[in-house]
Amino acid sequence: MVTLEKIAHLAEECRFDTMGPTGGVDTEKLSTLGEGTRHDVCASTFSPRETPLPGICHAFTQDGRCVSLFKTLYTNHCTHQCSYCTNAANCSRKARAFSYTPEELAKITISLYRSNYIEGLFLSSGAGRDEDAIMEKMVETARLLRQKHAFSGYIHLKVLPGSTRDHIKEAMALADRVSINLEAASASHMNEICATKSYESDILQRQRYIRDMKSEISETSETILPAGQTTQLVVGAAGESDEEIFKRVLYEYKEIGVKRAYYSAFSPQRGTPFENREAQPLWREHRLYQMDWLFRVYRFQPGEICHAFNDSGFLYDTDPKMAIAREFMDLPVDPNTAAFQQLLRVPGIGPRSAQRIVAFRKKQPIVAKAELTAMGVRIKRAAPFLKINGWRDTTLEMWQA
Amino acid sequence: MKVPENFLYYLSMHRDCNERLLASAGQLKAEDLELSLQPQEARLKKMIFAVMGEVHRMKAFVRLQPHGTCVLYGYFKPRHRIEEHICDHFARRNAGIIIVLGNGSESWISLCREGRIWRDHGQGLSESLERLKSALPCTENGTNIQNPDVEGLWQVYYDSQYCPERRNLAAFRRQMPRRDQEAAGLRLMQNKKNATLNDFISD
Repeated sequence: MVTLEKIAHLAEECRFDTMGPTGGVDTEKLSTLGEGTRHDVCASTFSPRETPLPGICHAFTQDGRCVSLFKTLYTNHCTHQCSYCTNAANCSRKARAFSYTPEELAKITISLYRSNYIEGLFLSSGAGRDEDAIMEKMVETARLLRQKHAFSGYIHLKVLPGSTRDHIKEAMALADRVSINLEAASASHMNEICATKSYESDILQRQRYIRDMKSEISETSETILPAGQTTQLVVGAAGESDEEIFKRVLYEYKEIGVKRAYYSAFSPQRGTPFENREAQPLWREHRLYQMDWLFRVYRFQPGEICHAFNDSGFLYDTDPKMAIAREFMDLPVDPNTAAFQQLLRVPGIGPRSAQRIVAFRKKQPIVAKAELTAMGVRIKRAAPFLKINGWRDTTLEMWQA
Repeated sequence: MKVPENFLYYLSMHRDCNERLLASAGQLKAEDLELSLQPQEARLKKMIFAVMGEVHRMKAFVRLQPHGTCVLYGYFKPRHRIEEHICDHFARRNAGIIIVLGNGSESWISLCREGRIWRDHGQGLSESLERLKSALPCTENGTNIQNPDVEGLWQVYYDSQYCPERRNLAAFRRQMPRRDQEAAGLRLMQNKKNATLNDFISD
């Protein structure tokens, strides 16, 4: 231990900028531009520049969603005509137009970060009058944070549709993650929700730029974009089925190489052309995330996941893993002999429980359900599919003629 | 949660840990502890996870306020002996800035400079802040700098993230029990006109 006086002496003078007196930020601007990102999602806070924390959430919203980032628009002025968006040019109830300056936005971010409210910045924007000018400002904000304020936290920059290759490259050099929202499952669905954006050239082509530049730079063993590229879709605005969404997301994972896709259930907003369309139930978003998890984390094959859709191509409001298990698992699984991938297909067994089962059985056999429960298996869901020590639960099918 | 390789470090911070417990736990490996079904080892796992959980919550919910230009301070009263660990975490995160965490009776001070951490353990939080105020060179022209109302800004931003169509208070309380809400200084949006009985039942 050293004395307090010595610590005071060692402290760097005027280490960080203050924002000035209270009231230096227009709270209406802060609120309006924050509201513009309510439906945008990012579940990462990983930055390699400081010691990574496992999934930290500094607060939760009143629906249980994590709030870890300062999510904001740079400006809510937009010339696009997305029919679901309150900032669109064709919205009749638009809020007052606001815009930050890079310096102001950097200072708000660093103040919230130092006070431990956030892990980083999520910066999106309306296109303004010129998306290149807005992208330049967004990149300037990230540059100020990294260089002037020595910010080592997380930065997620949204790439505006139609941005130039050079701006995208600059954004990738400063951010931990970049993303461009697909919004729709195909070009025809995009035409229905936003006639001013070209699906192929404004969005898909920009995703390919990000993919190609990342792999070029990675070949020189330089670390770039550690949290990768992601995307987001609006679910149900244009009537697409879950199967159509799944096919698009498969393309994104295989051809574009996105780290993950996010789904946002369509919610009609007043004053927009879509205000009278039906809101999508939140369970649809939840089931899409479960389907996504089965492909991305559990490594289910697309041919297996297709069995979770009904004849119209929509998911049921039940766990897709259960539907797939009922379709494919005719014989019970013995936890003492089953392969890791086979264990993962049992409802109630996730990757962590499956790893524990494989490690445990090397030392001694599994003889009771209680042992599986202690390893984290949800035994009520798993028991109908398991055969433990030669015994299996009775199921109704056994008694049917 | 998984039992980490350095589980002894977390176990040593538990308020009920003693030398005998540490000596017996020192014979075990992390992977054996992870898979063990023995009651004694299950108790050790519970203790380790309790400390890890509190460390994670403190890193998430402790709020720091600026004091001048060189100090960040926050109220802090943990259940386990994690004070230095948390203070060092914030010091590394804000290199060159003095971190003061404490309560009415104790305070912990850390400073990270050029990769090295300097520490002190003081009396109450307000007493340590007063001593720092008189010792620090970081005042502009001899006057105190007016710090921004970061809490006010945060509340405006937090309220802007509210989606009425996604309201699910049961999920909110599961993720953030009342104790953590108070620690984080969270004030929910008032919606008294549409309040139902469930809004008044705490979990």
